[in-house]
Amino acid sequence: MKKVLVVDDSLSVARQLEKIISESGDFTCVGHAKNGAEAIKMNHTENPEIICMDMNMPGMDGLTALRTLSVMDKEVKVVMVTSLGGVGDKFTEALKLGAKNVISKPFEADNVLRILREL
Amino acid sequence: MAVKFFGQFLVEKGIVTSSALLDAINLQDKNNLKFGEMAVAMGLVTPADIQRAHNAQMSRDMKLGHLLVEMGVLTSVQMDDVVIRQKNTHLYIGEALVQIGALTSEALQQHLDAFKADQAQYVSNGIDLPITSANSNIWEMTADLTYKMITRVLDLQFRPGKCVQATAISPNFMLAAMDLSGDVEARYLISVSEGLQKSIAKAILSEESVDDEPAEVLEDTVMEFVNVVCGNVAAKASQMGIIMDINPPVTLHPPASGLPIPAGHTALSFPIHIVGGDTMEMLLLIKN
Repeated sequence: MKKVLVVDDSLSVARQLEKIISESGDFTCVGHAKNGAEAIKMNHTENPEIICMDMNMPGMDGLTALRTLSVMDKEVKVVMVTSLGGVGDKFTEALKLGAKNVISKPFEADNVLRILREL
Repeated sequence: MAVKFFGQFLVEKGIVTSSALLDAINLQDKNNLKFGEMAVAMGLVTPADIQRAHNAQMSRDMKLGHLLVEMGVLTSVQMDDVVIRQKNTHLYIGEALVQIGALTSEALQQHLDAFKADQAQYVSNGIDLPITSANSNIWEMTADLTYKMITRVLDLQFRPGKCVQATAISPNFMLAAMDLSGDVEARYLISVSEGLQKSIAKAILSEESVDDEPAEVLEDTVMEFVNVVCGNVAAKASQMGIIMDINPPVTLHPPASGLPIPAGHTALSFPIHIVGGDTMEMLLLIKN
C-alpha cells in the first residue's frame, strides 16, 4: 500500500482525508502535519510516496512547502487540497511548483481516490 | 463539486495531464497580448509611450488604455480597436489544448458541454440586497453560493429569509469568520446554535454521531464550512474579474449583548431558516 501524508491545519479536513485514505485499501495514512514546516520534517521521517497538502495554512503555507519539497525530494508526489482551487492563478501556480494535481474543496471520496490512483 | 475553471476541470477529471495544461497556458501567454503589447504590435504606440503610461499609473488608478487616451497618445477609437483586436485574437484554454494536440476539436466540445453542466449548479439566482454598492453583485453571489453549499455540503433543507441591514451582531453559540481582502474588503461570518454546530460537524466529518467529539473539532468543522464557501466565492469572484484573497478562519463567541458593527462597515444579515426550527445567520461586514 502506498504511504500518504496528510497536511492540513484543519482537524476536520485531516479527519476526512485520513478516513478516505485508510478505507481505500490502496493507501495507508502515515501521519498528519499541521503546516508546511511539519510536512517537510515528516516527509523526512515518514518517507511517504504521496503528500496531500492544504494550500493555505498559518505558518509555512502549502505552496512554500511545495517549493521546498520539489527541490529536496524528487520522488514524493504532492497533490494540493484547497478551497481556492477554482482560482485559476492559484491552480496554475501549484502545478508550476510541481504539484501533480489539485483537489478542490468540497471534495468527494471517489474523486480524491481517483486522483491518488492516477499518480 | 466546486467552482472551477475549464483547465482545472480537465486535469481533475484526468482528461489532460497537468504538464499539457501548463504547455497550453504557456501558449496562451505568448498569444494573448496585454493591452500595451497589442497597441505596440498594431503600431499605434511605442514601448516608450507604454513605459510613460505605466509610470503614470503608479499615482493614477486608471486602466492603461484610458490613461493613454488622456495622455493624447491614443484616440478613443484606437483604444476600442485595440480591445476588439484583443478579443478577436484571444486564445481560450480549450483551443490552446487542441493546438498542442492534447485534445481533439470534437473532444473539446464534448468536455465543454460537460463542464458547463457541472458549473451550472453555481450560476447565481439573484438576491435582493437592502443596499446598493459598486460590488452588490459580489455580495449577492456570496449569499447565493452560501445557500448552494448549505444544500450540497451540509445537506440541510432551509428557507432563506429576507436580507436586512444589521445594527449589531446577535449573540449565538458560536460564529466562524473569515476576512476577505483584495479588490473588496469584508468579513464573512456564519452564526450557529449548538444544535446546528453538531449538524454541520456530522456532515463535514461524515459521522452519524458527533457527541463524543471534542469541542475543538466541532468548532473546526464550522470554520471549514466557512473556508469552503469563501474559497468558492473567491473562485467565482475571479471569474467575475474581482481579485479576492481569503484568510485563515477564526471563531468568535459573542457575549449575551451581542457584538457591535465595526466603525466604517455596513452589516448585511441573511437569516437562514433551517427545516426543524433552527436558524443560521450569514453576515457580511462590508468595509465602506
